[in-house]
Parts: sequence; structure tokens; C-alpha cells
Amino acid sequence: MRLLQVSLRSLLLYSLVLVIISIPVSLYSIREILNEEVDESLTLNSQQFLEHLKNFEYLDDLETDLHVLDQLSYNIHIKPTAATIQKNSFETVIQYDSIEHEERPFRQLSSNVIVKGKPYLLTISMSLVDNDDLITAIGIVQIILIVLLTGGLLFINRSLSKKLWTPFYKTISRLKAYELDKNEAFEVEKTNIIEFDDLNTAIGNLTERNRKVFLHQKEFIENASHELQTPLAIFQSKLDVLMQSSALSESSAETIAELEATAQRMSRLNKNLLLLSKIDNEQFIEKEDVDLQATTLDVIAKIRDIADTNQLSMINSIEAGRTLANKTLIEVLITNLLHNAVRHTSVGGSIHVMVKDKTFEVANSGKPLSDPERIFERFRKDSANSESTGLGLAIVKKICDLCSYEQHYEYKADLHVFSVKFWP
Amino acid sequence: MKILIIEDEKELVKSMAQYLRQESYVCEIAYTAHEANEKVFLFEYDCILLDINLPDGNGLKILEKLKDNNKTDGVIIITAKNSLDDKVRGLNLGADDYLAKPFFLPELVARVSAVIRRKRFDGNTKITFQEITVDLLGKTVHAHDQAVDLTRKEYDLLVFLIANKNRVVSKNAIAEHLSGDDAELLDKFDFIYTHIKNLKKKLSEAGAIDYIQTVYGLGYKFTA
Repeated sequence: MRLLQVSLRSLLLYSLVLVIISIPVSLYSIREILNEEVDESLTLNSQQFLEHLKNFEYLDDLETDLHVLDQLSYNIHIKPTAATIQKNSFETVIQYDSIEHEERPFRQLSSNVIVKGKPYLLTISMSLVDNDDLITAIGIVQIILIVLLTGGLLFINRSLSKKLWTPFYKTISRLKAYELDKNEAFEVEKTNIIEFDDLNTAIGNLTERNRKVFLHQKEFIENASHELQTPLAIFQSKLDVLMQSSALSESSAETIAELEATAQRMSRLNKNLLLLSKIDNEQFIEKEDVDLQATTLDVIAKIRDIADTNQLSMINSIEAGRTLANKTLIEVLITNLLHNAVRHTSVGGSIHVMVKDKTFEVANSGKPLSDPERIFERFRKDSANSESTGLGLAIVKKICDLCSYEQHYEYKADLHVFSVKFWP
Repeated sequence: MKILIIEDEKELVKSMAQYLRQESYVCEIAYTAHEANEKVFLFEYDCILLDINLPDGNGLKILEKLKDNNKTDGVIIITAKNSLDDKVRGLNLGADDYLAKPFFLPELVARVSAVIRRKRFDGNTKITFQEITVDLLGKTVHAHDQAVDLTRKEYDLLVFLIANKNRVVSKNAIAEHLSGDDAELLDKFDFIYTHIKNLKKKLSEAGAIDYIQTVYGLGYKFTA
């Protein structure tokens, strides 16, 4: 749920409650005000009526006249009464309205009056607004209010979230697209809103710091690998010199051979680390038209001998294909995938290499992996094969990431299948 | 034959010189670009081993000066930076070969002898070891004037062994020389053994003496 929706929800709920409460409150208060007004005018009417009666001195038979009056008048009734105490009382009664032909509420003032020395009960009534009509009217007004309120709030909310939050969403989308290893600074835009500017500055600082650390680390790996080359060269050269010694026993000769194999492994590891960091540092950016068929056939020719020695049967289906890419990277990628296949196929196994529609695929026979998801991770290796540096497939992945190639691994029909789709 | 080693790592220089001297090369040493500049212009060398990263300058500058002065010394660039740019620049500047650290000394010797052969014996493309003659141009081998039919790998192996004659060459060095980066895939014992066995067989069939000695656990030695 968006932030503005949360605040909108509370606002809407509050106004809804207010509006609903206001219905009975306004009904009650309007009713009270009306009653008061009506009561006042009833009192006034009654006083005026009595005033008029006093002036009608010429009437001889007052009782008859009053009776006639009582019969004729619609809202004034006067009847002789036994009670002698003077009092006024107001009440609301429901009467049949003969004009509108329906029951209607009336406000009625009953008072005991003395006319010409005789007591009478004077009743004056006045029609009131129908309760139902009143509720309906108020209800309609309030519903219109609710609709306008909700609509207005929603509209304001929408235009606010579009305008006010634009810089925020911009920052979010730029953050989502930001990649530390793409070697770009995180650019911030001035927004005129303090909170957003603070946020942008903080993110800018954070990413810049991370980028610097990352760059330093990349540089460090490359420098460290370079620096290791010389001691490795010294080590190797000392072994070569030591080997010439005529006084070597068989066991020391064997030890030297083992040392040399280890030195070679170190130097291969170092070479691969260096290659990885060079790819990372984008030192292979020149692109050219690469012939996938020729490149693949070259690599196959180089490893053919080794494949033959291990009695691996190679089944190749190499079709023509070209792609615009860095030639070195393509060679490294194909070489590493083929090396991987050769290394992990046991004697007598088979390797299938296919190039078709700009897709390179190599499949080799072998047992399924215990952890196929992590196959492209660095130093992830099959423990049985210590000769491997554990970096070959990591380099493949790095190249695919850099060039946005789709790389895929699956195990089917007893074959490990690696494929890379080149573009453009 | 005179060789100048321009390299600031004293221990590496020591091993290189020691190894090269065994093969009757005369080695001179320069630890800095300054020393190197002096020596290069005072003397003639058959081959200069040039490290690019020197404490007081870039080795490529020395190479540039050499070529500007029409010096014909053979130059092999040695560098810790295995970068394609350096390689292309060095070779464009007129270097004869390029070797990345770390390297096997037998590999260095093979490169040095190839460069010297190209520089010194113009026209003479043959190397001879007792009754075996290798024609480097035609890539053919004869023993007692009888042609020996070798595969590409066997031929490379023979040339490599002759260049390092009288020295123990490890299986790792041979594998690296024959297969380059693909060497890591090799089960060295099988692969090298097969090639050595075939080479021995073919040479002895042609009437040559078996000069390839097996040094147990280590490698081979080509010696008369």
C-alpha cells in the first residue's frame, strides 16, 4: 500500500464518521429550532386571537359565535371547558391532513382562556415539516457531501502522488537500475523538497562510497595478481635450476616435480584471477566481427590431441555464425567451456559441440551434480579434480554478464549441457 | 654468444644467468634502465632479455631507442603484465618474442636459441645434433640423411629438447611448451610419455642413437 493511500484511508474514514454522526445531530437541532419558531408563532397567534375576541363586543350570542368559529376554522378550535386554571401547553400531534390526504405532524398549543367571564379551551395548531422529508433532505445533502469529499480527496491524492512524489519515484527507479560494477556514479537531481534532497544526497554518498571501495578492491585484485607473477617466476626458475643438480635422489626428484606442479597451479590460478579482474575492469572493450565457426574449430583443434589421449569421442556440429564481440573474450569463453567439458568427462566419454543460430552449446557425458545452481560460482569445484582452478566457469559467467549473453546449464539424458546465446 | 638480461629481480636474474651459462651463453646483467642504456649502446648482444617494468623506467623505451639506432640485437620482452597491449606494442616496436612471467627456464632457452638462430645464421636454418639434423624452415628431420616422419607435436618436442640439450626438462615444461594454456587439461604422464615414446621409436627406426634419457619422477634429458 502506498504511503498516500494510508493517509487517505484515515482521512476518508474520519470524514465518513463525521458525516454519519452529523445526520442525527443536524436532524435533532433543526427539529428543535423549528419547534421553537413554531411555538413562538403559535403563542403570537393565540394572543392575537384573544385580542381580536376582546374587540368583538357587538357579538350577542358569544357562545354560538364561538361554536361557529370552532366549526369553520381549520387550525383554531375553541371549546367551553370546566377547568378554570389558566395554563399553556405545547405538544406535537399527528393529524389527518384533509388537503394533502395524509397523516402529518402538527404542533399544537392548548391554553385555558377566559372569554367574557367564561372558561374556554383554545387550541391552535400549525403544520410541521414531515420528519421523513427532513431526514431525506438531510440524507441527500450528506450523501452528496460524502461523494464530493471522497472524490475530491482521491483526486487530490492522485495528483499529489503524481507531482509531489515524482522525484521520489525517480530516485527509486534509478536505484533499482543502479549497478555497482557498471562503473557509473549515482546521479542525483535537485528537487526543492528538503526530505527528498536529503534522501538523494544520502543515497548519492552511500553509492559513491561503495563504488570507491569496489574500485579499490578491483584494483587490488589486479595489482596483487601482477605482483604475484614475479615471485612465482623466481620460484619456478629456482626449481628449474635445482633440477639440473646431478646429486638428486629419486625421492627429491619426485618432490621437485610435485613442487613444480603446485607452482604451475598457483600460476594458473593467478592468471585466471588476473583475467577475471581484467574482464571486470573492462579491458576487453574493442569489438569486431567474430566468426563463431572458425573460432570454435580453432579451439577444438587445440584440444583434439588431449581429447584423443583421454579417448573422448567428439561429435561436432558447427554451423556458420558471426557476432559482433571482443574476439579474446569469445575465445576465452569457448575455450573455458570446452576445457570444462574435457576435464569433467571420464575416459571413454563423449563431448558434443554445437554452434547454431549464434548459440554455442557443449554437452559432455557425466554423473549429475549435487549442487547445479552453484556451478558458475568461483572456486566451486568437483573435489576429485584438483588440477582445476575452479575459475573457468566463473570467467564464463563474468563474460556472459558483461556482454549480456544468456548462459544456461542443464542436465539431461546423462549429459551436462552448457549453452551460451551470443548477440548481436 | 652474448646475452644481456635487463631485469630488476635479483633472484630471478641469478637463476636465469645460471641456467643460460650452462649452455655456454655469456650473460651480462643490468638491474636498472640506466645501466641497461649504457650497456646496450656500448656492446653488441646476440639476445637481450628485457623486462618491461623497471624501477627507473619502462623497458619499452629502451627497445625504442635500440631500434631508433638501428641496433640489430635480438630482443625478448619479459613481463609480469600478461597484457595484450604490451605484447602488441612490444612486437610492433621490433621485439622478436614475448614471454610472460612466470615461465619455465627451458622455455626461455628455447626462445633465446630460436631468436639467436634467426639473427645470427641468416640463411642457415638447420640445427644439428650428432647424426640428427633438423631443418627449421621445412620443418623436416633427418637422421643419417634418412628422413624421419614426425607429427607436429613430435617435431616441436624434438626441437625443444635439442635447444635444452644436456639439461633436465620437466614434464610440466614440455606440456606447457606443446599445449600452451591447454596443458592444464593434460594428464601429463600419459600425454608426454606417448609423444616421447613415439619420437624415440621413430628416431631409432631411422638409425639414430636414443639420446632421450628418462629422469625418474621429473622429466627427460636429451644428451649424447
